[in-house]
Amino acid sequence: MSQTLPSYLQSVEILQNEQVAKNLWRMVFKAPKLAQELLPGQFFTIAVADEPRQLAKIPLSYATADKENGTVETLYAVVGPGTEALARMERGESTEVVGPCGHGWKVEACKKRTLLVTGGCGVPSVLSAAHALAEEHIPFDCILAARTAEHLYGQEVLNTTGCGDLVLATDDGSAGEQGNAAEITEHLLKRVGGDYYDAILTCGPPMMMEAMAHVAHEHDIPCQVSLERRMTCGFGACATCAVRTVDGMKGACVAGPVFDAREVVW
Amino acid sequence: MYLSETPKMAVNVGGIAMKNPLNTASGAFGQGWQFENFFDVSELGAITTKGVAIDPWPGNDGPRMADVYGGIINSVGLQNPGVDGFIKDNSEYLENLSEKGTAVICQVAGHTLEEYQAALSRFEETAPWAAGFEINISCPNLSAGCAWGATPESAAQVIKAVRPLTSRPLLVKMAPVNIADTARALEDAGADALSVINSIPGMAIDINTHRSKIARPTGGLSGPAFHPIALRMVWEASQATSLPINGMGGVTTGAEAAEFILAGATCVSVGFAALSDPTSPIRILRELTEWVAAQGASDINDLIGAFEC
Repeated sequence: MSQTLPSYLQSVEILQNEQVAKNLWRMVFKAPKLAQELLPGQFFTIAVADEPRQLAKIPLSYATADKENGTVETLYAVVGPGTEALARMERGESTEVVGPCGHGWKVEACKKRTLLVTGGCGVPSVLSAAHALAEEHIPFDCILAARTAEHLYGQEVLNTTGCGDLVLATDDGSAGEQGNAAEITEHLLKRVGGDYYDAILTCGPPMMMEAMAHVAHEHDIPCQVSLERRMTCGFGACATCAVRTVDGMKGACVAGPVFDAREVVW
Repeated sequence: MYLSETPKMAVNVGGIAMKNPLNTASGAFGQGWQFENFFDVSELGAITTKGVAIDPWPGNDGPRMADVYGGIINSVGLQNPGVDGFIKDNSEYLENLSEKGTAVICQVAGHTLEEYQAALSRFEETAPWAAGFEINISCPNLSAGCAWGATPESAAQVIKAVRPLTSRPLLVKMAPVNIADTARALEDAGADALSVINSIPGMAIDINTHRSKIARPTGGLSGPAFHPIALRMVWEASQATSLPINGMGGVTTGAEAAEFILAGATCVSVGFAALSDPTSPIRILRELTEWVAAQGASDINDLIGAFEC
């Protein structure tokens, strides 16, 4: 079981850090080696300066790893003192990052047509999946859900990445269809039929993940879920990010964050 | 800083020879191998592995941690694969680490005296490379686990029960209560060294949901916020007994490690800092070595307990 982990500590320079939607920020930093090594669905942890309420690094999924330019792009919501401090960081500042962390999407399990489903701040992980599927020439559609139209982000990237059908959904109906991600997925699967997709990849809030696992199971479609957990280290040393699975507790940081939905005890 | 003369840093913690006084706190350093990509773990004097019981424990439900001012509170609940599972997965790495000169201290957990005995006996059979064992009588996240460390009498009962089972050094991970009396009781019961101190029970409440930020009402506070409290407890223990002390609690710099040495610790364990900055143990060792030299000391042993009040 003892294994060599891929994670290492590195100093990175922030190139961009701006708000792109309601409660969603986009950060791009220079990290040539990390950009080469990140695999779809993996994450990193990032340090914030001068915030005594956030001494542990913050785990974030990445959206794009630009191998040519050596940059990594992420998206995050501001939910507390740590992410508030992250949002205050400016272009030109340096910080420390640990990565690549964890096991990401099993893109090799997507062969025919894939459905991506994301909600809330699960967008970056799903965007990394979109890039990977496009590279492998695997067709995919996406359900992009958010609370309101103002919270929606990612349409443009998904369209340029070659997303087939892009279904927008909001809780209040202010953009796209009204409903949550799992409801919209259910409607879509009823319409296209269970054989249309051979894989669902999904990332979003915990309740959405459970609902998505249920919908995928009903339609007998293999489903990969990227789970968010509070973490301290991000590399398997502290056991704070445990996920209850059929094989016992597993760390979201090393065994995940992507799990087979059938493996998770919901 | 380049030192013209490197001071002698080797220490002996209750029979455990360490090439330097840098150790890692159980539960904050995995089983060591998780850190090999960050630095050469064999440069440390010792590592203390995660607490392990005779049978696997699932640990507590999540969330298991929350960020708080100056650290975290956690409630892992000693999730562990049992001694056999631990040995199967980690023995090869730990034996190799031991051969490179880093003392491997295995932490032993239990709910009952019988469970402590069973786990230590199994370790005794299966971990010939272990330099010693740390008996954890103070997990803040078990309903029963804290009880053993809560009084001098019950703490001593555990050590008396396990002492006959091994001739290797026994450290005791103490609870952050009644330090002086418990330290004396543990010395009388046959402990070889004291690990001072386990994380301190704390709380964090979500003011919108009115619920705990972790799955249980309380969890263990660790990180720099509790360093001054841990330091006071190390000093109290050192005043109360002649046992060597493995000092720990919120060390993030060599200066804080040096405070523990001055207060009477023979070695210092890095906990939370290893999780937030995985290269910190080796940096703290370097800074501590520089401090010893800057004091004009040729041997760190001359500075142990040098605190003057």
